[in-house]
Amino acid sequence: MDSPMEIMMILLVLSDFALLGLSRLRTCISIVSFQGMLLGLLALVSQWGSLTLRLVMIAAASFIIKGFVFPILLRRGIREAGTQQEMEPFVGYIMSIIAGLVMLGVSLWLGNKLPLFALGSGTYLIIPAALTTLFTGLFLIIARKNALNQCLGYIIMENGIYTFGIFSVVEIPLLVELGILLDVFVAVFVMGIAIYHINREFDHLDSDRLNVLKG
Amino acid sequence: MNYEIVLWLLIFIPAISGLVCVAAPSPKLALGMMCAGVFSMALLALSAIGAVLLQGEILFAASNWLFMDALSAYNLFVMIVVFCLSSIYACIYFQQELLHNNLTIKQIRQFTSLWCGALASMTIVLISNNLGIMWVGIEATTLITAFLICVHVSRESLEAMWKYILICSVGVAFAFMGTLLAAASAKGVGLGSHNALLWTTLRTNAASLNPVLIKAAFIFLLVGYGTKAGLAPMHSWLPDAHSQAPAPVSAIFSGFMLNAALYCIMRYIPIVEIATGHSGWGLNFLVGFGIFSIIIAAAFIVFQKDVKRLLAYHSIEHLGIIALGFGLGGLGTFAALFHTFNHSLCKTLSFFAAGRLGQIFGSHDMEKMSGSLPVSRVWGIGILCSLLALIGIAPFALFMSEFQLIKTTVDTHAWLVLSLFLVGTGIVFVGALGHAIPLAWGTNQKSYTPVRTTFFEAFLVFVPLAVLLILGLWMPKALFTALTSAANIIGTTGGTTSLAGVLQ
Repeated sequence: MDSPMEIMMILLVLSDFALLGLSRLRTCISIVSFQGMLLGLLALVSQWGSLTLRLVMIAAASFIIKGFVFPILLRRGIREAGTQQEMEPFVGYIMSIIAGLVMLGVSLWLGNKLPLFALGSGTYLIIPAALTTLFTGLFLIIARKNALNQCLGYIIMENGIYTFGIFSVVEIPLLVELGILLDVFVAVFVMGIAIYHINREFDHLDSDRLNVLKG
Repeated sequence: MNYEIVLWLLIFIPAISGLVCVAAPSPKLALGMMCAGVFSMALLALSAIGAVLLQGEILFAASNWLFMDALSAYNLFVMIVVFCLSSIYACIYFQQELLHNNLTIKQIRQFTSLWCGALASMTIVLISNNLGIMWVGIEATTLITAFLICVHVSRESLEAMWKYILICSVGVAFAFMGTLLAAASAKGVGLGSHNALLWTTLRTNAASLNPVLIKAAFIFLLVGYGTKAGLAPMHSWLPDAHSQAPAPVSAIFSGFMLNAALYCIMRYIPIVEIATGHSGWGLNFLVGFGIFSIIIAAAFIVFQKDVKRLLAYHSIEHLGIIALGFGLGGLGTFAALFHTFNHSLCKTLSFFAAGRLGQIFGSHDMEKMSGSLPVSRVWGIGILCSLLALIGIAPFALFMSEFQLIKTTVDTHAWLVLSLFLVGTGIVFVGALGHAIPLAWGTNQKSYTPVRTTFFEAFLVFVPLAVLLILGLWMPKALFTALTSAANIIGTTGGTTSLAGVLQ
């Protein structure tokens, strides 16, 4: 445990497991907010020796948007909808954690397979941690019924890809990076509006009960 | 003519007209501003397309971040045809809704501004040289068009919209992972930050990319953009979104949005092919997805009741045919590009007809719409002929492109592919014909008085049909050269030398 990066990666994976095992939406949102702040810091720590304006801007933008703006939007969603927790997900919470262990195993194996580049000490955990986060997000989208939980899953998935992006490709131009961040921001915003409409029209947020259109 | 400014304007004109539409004082003015934006952009685009396709130039702008070669020019041409026709149609369609007081000024403002926004973001996809910006454009189309599905808020349209945003956003996130992996594969080449994601530099250096990473990238890209393109088995959002959206929106979804996602895959085909040493590794995936889409669509077409869902499954089938063409390579690439235009034109027309007939009969249920020919001569002919063209009846252009595809499979001795293709299209032929005949001549339980149609409505039906008929019998030389040069870019035989010349 000698490098801060290692600690951050472990925290990232632990937060994934917390998300898989917790049912209270409010707590889940706080954890996703924590993940967002962690990733903002990660971008800075990863290049501590050679900070550029570009990196600082990206880190600050993702810190603010993922750490503060998304949680505010989502908490408002909870207040409007009046749902506190997911009662009966497709996959139970214990099973979700077990699935998380399997995903971690697969990620470690994949991380060894991909010929990506080590960037100094403590970096061997980065690709597995990024992939675990990606899979966790995907799993939450599939295994949970509540539309808010699915929206959280999308943000977590994006967090995983972002982590991957910081380390595998350092040279993405600022404009592209900001465009991507804007898209993710608008995506969550649009999902928020959709959730608002769904709640008003149906009086619930269970996406498995959105089942009129078939065949 | 300064084409650098033209490329910028192609994005800015629709974007600005979208902003202006938000403040439109009356519905008619909003629709008028939308049409003005679309048509002025189309005129400018035509001049640029002419320079690229007829004079063989390659246009660059914004220090090589925007560019237009034969492939993007051809796709841009398809897009403006679809958008111009659909804009005229949107005016007719919403005029009817306004007459019946089904539409508020707020809804029409929302529709027109999002419509222009969708045009702007699809243009970004087509003319950006930077693969990251291309991804941003695709994601932007998802977000902008999401609200177009529920112009009329109802339970069904909300359900369709939710499925659309969630499935497409997740899918497109996969494509982003693929874009990152593609950029990572170029790390050994030593490209700077500015050039790392440029298609032109990746294409020129394709031989020295890391093959393992580019393979991983292509799988992510194919699944990601394939979701947006509606390839089976990632197609589940498509029938819902197409059936719930207003008809003009379904027309641009099917006519161009799916193609825009497929265009992104087209861009990666030559890079992957060269990086993997022309082994055909990536092409096999395209063949697989293509055949699977055709078979899945065939199975669902037979049992459809809703005419717009039927057309949506036809889209899955035809996008499968196009993907199959790219997968076969050679003449197949040419056929696939030709099929892109034919399908877009024909599908736009069929959604126009389905939408207008839906308004007349008050339902999209094919049983309630049967016997449409006596009720509306023009739109009845429209739906009948476009369905016939879609299933590949002989003199129409779709038959020609499918025939070229069959010829490719015979030339490459791909017998399994050929037999699966024939089985799939055979089922579609019989199934859709079974729907089309009662739709045109069947007896309806209620009696409807024949509906009068305007000149513009007749124009929208007969011009596309005439074009499809002419292209089926005779291919103009300009189109042939355009298709050949676009196909050469995908087929890895063209592009390199000319691009290397420009970049140095």
